[in-house]
Amino acid sequence: MADVRLTSVGKIYAGSVPAVKDISFTVPDGGFCVLVGPSGCGKSTLLRMIAGLETITMGEVRIGDRVVNTVEPMDRDIAMVFQNYALYPHMSVYDNMAYGLRNRKTPEAEISARVAEAARILELEPYLKRRPRELSGGQRQRVAMGRAIVRKPQVFLFDEPLSNLDAKLRGAMRVEIKKLQRHLGVTAVYVTHDQLEAMTLADMLVVMNQGVVEQIGAPLDLYERPETVFVAQFIGAPPMNMIELTPTKGLPAGLDGVAGLPLPAAGARLGIRPEHLGVEIDGDARIETRPGDVRLALTVEAVEAVGAETYIHGRLGGDGQMIAAREHGKVLLPAGTTRTFTARREHLHLFDLATGRRIAH
Amino acid sequence: MVENRPLANLVSHLILITGVAIVAFPVYLALVASSSDPTTIANGQLGLIPEGHLFENYWKVLFQGTERSTKQPMIVPLFNSLVMALIISIGKIAISLISAFAIIYFRFPFRHTAFWVIFLTLMLPVEVRIYPTYKIVADLGMLDTYAGLTIPLIASATATLLFRQFFMTVPDELLEASKIDGAGPWMFFKDTLLPLSMTSIAAMFVIQFIYGWNQYLWPLLITTRDDMQTIVIGIQKMLYVTDALTEWQLAMATTILAMLPPVVVVVAMQKLFVRGLTETEK
Ligand SMILES: Nc1ncnc2c1ncn2[C@@H]1O[C@H](COP(=O)(O)OP(=O)(O)OP(=O)(O)O)[C@@H](O)[C@H]1O
Ligand SMILES: [Mg+2]
Repeated sequence: MADVRLTSVGKIYAGSVPAVKDISFTVPDGGFCVLVGPSGCGKSTLLRMIAGLETITMGEVRIGDRVVNTVEPMDRDIAMVFQNYALYPHMSVYDNMAYGLRNRKTPEAEISARVAEAARILELEPYLKRRPRELSGGQRQRVAMGRAIVRKPQVFLFDEPLSNLDAKLRGAMRVEIKKLQRHLGVTAVYVTHDQLEAMTLADMLVVMNQGVVEQIGAPLDLYERPETVFVAQFIGAPPMNMIELTPTKGLPAGLDGVAGLPLPAAGARLGIRPEHLGVEIDGDARIETRPGDVRLALTVEAVEAVGAETYIHGRLGGDGQMIAAREHGKVLLPAGTTRTFTARREHLHLFDLATGRRIAH
Repeated sequence: MVENRPLANLVSHLILITGVAIVAFPVYLALVASSSDPTTIANGQLGLIPEGHLFENYWKVLFQGTERSTKQPMIVPLFNSLVMALIISIGKIAISLISAFAIIYFRFPFRHTAFWVIFLTLMLPVEVRIYPTYKIVADLGMLDTYAGLTIPLIASATATLLFRQFFMTVPDELLEASKIDGAGPWMFFKDTLLPLSMTSIAAMFVIQFIYGWNQYLWPLLITTRDDMQTIVIGIQKMLYVTDALTEWQLAMATTILAMLPPVVVVVAMQKLFVRGLTETEK
């Protein structure tokens, strides 16, 4: 077992701008690290540098206590699961899993024992003789997992392994992967752009944007204390509402209670998550106002009721920006009505207008 | 299109049958002629019903040869053609696979130059560079040898291009998975690329076997000894007789014999060959 330590890692593809810039973090032994970010932010590039499939332009990658910058992929003691699985189409499921072991001159008896074990864990026993194209997408995915686990590597690398599956199967496999990784205790680095996957799988979440790390931390810490506007809006769905507050220009109409906030002279962004905007429904659920709360007068434009919760989209002060709110249960407000939505002081996020960084308040 | 209309069926069958008949009739006629008595064709009496001299004619042409022209048993040129076609097709496939592999999977200086030079040779078939090629083969003392017959024909841009095209469609992740699984370049070639290319190889084999089998100009130049002749030249020579009648029944028997190996190759490879053209296993 081993940790993965990145020090000032950077990547410049021949003749283009840097894809990854100066990234440092350590995934502890047995930890589950998820790299998340929008398309093109360099997640795959970073993962492939750890795997040894891309050269490392700058910095240092360590696996355990070994610097692996110039070590061949096969000698890094890693296993990788690809988005398209990359199973060998002409080999049976058994041979797909056994191939890497055979190349390492593992005795045949040991190979069949390990493949049998992996097949048992992944419920692939009935399919060992089949070719990959005779399997369903989910089964192929499990073969790819099997190929990774039979090797007993020090690190698992996953590049969007679930993105070719339908939503239901993806949910199930997500749980499987987490269980398997816990059970085997192998360090994992997992790339995804699905924030639900990121939040549920990670012990350690790395949010990337345009080749740099925006924030690293436990998923709920990132949700509760996003350090930048980017992280605030990337994590959580629907994304956090951002209201620009520039004292010199005057505050937006319909916004009340921001006077006590420590606004810098240059201005700030006020972030409020949709789920933190509460509304009073005709005396049903009374919200008593406390000092420091912020109140928003929203004119309802659209209401989406999905059963357990309701999404309300309304304009701030009647004709201002669109704000989303998320309420428990059924909250059926007719379009055109204006209501007051309340956000507690502890749920307010404040970011510097120019730098996008969090301001303590 | 899945339709089931009797009239459309009938019409399409008629068209197909006509097509088959146009192609097959001359072959049938050759078969009939190869079973005839020496005098039938000379007298212009060849009918559509086979006569009884089939085995006699084939035996004679294979092991004794004609009486009036070459007088050589045709088993020898048949064997030469087979060797030539096999060396050419296997040689072409082997070299093309390796060069396509180098071009796609290795980064070396002048990689693109190498590719374009190979590509350029498409414009220089043997017929165009026949004199210099003959000179080289002659200077190397390879006249009247299998090496002289085959080596100049082995270099092939077509097969290299085909395999290059195919390799480019193989997902990069397969190479990467192999790397992680501890396979070096040759193991990747042997364990993954070759099995995946099997259908393309079969298609190439069929095409190149027929190409090699049908060679005429090159063997004509490079062979002088009777025992190095190929079957196409053998047939041609059989037809030249002075002051006597051509033994058409024997020439036709040879023609039929000369058609058989390509047919066998096509039939044997058909399943793979058709898959190679239609289905990809990725
Ligand atoms: N082989 C390459 N050559 C040049 N540039 C590349 C190469 N591979 C990736 N890039 C560039 O590097 C940047 C990061 O790419 P990368 O594949 O790491 O993104 P990603 O975060 O994995 O995106 P996605 O979620 O779409 O997979 C992109 O701008 C991309 O265009
Ligand atoms: Mg990617």
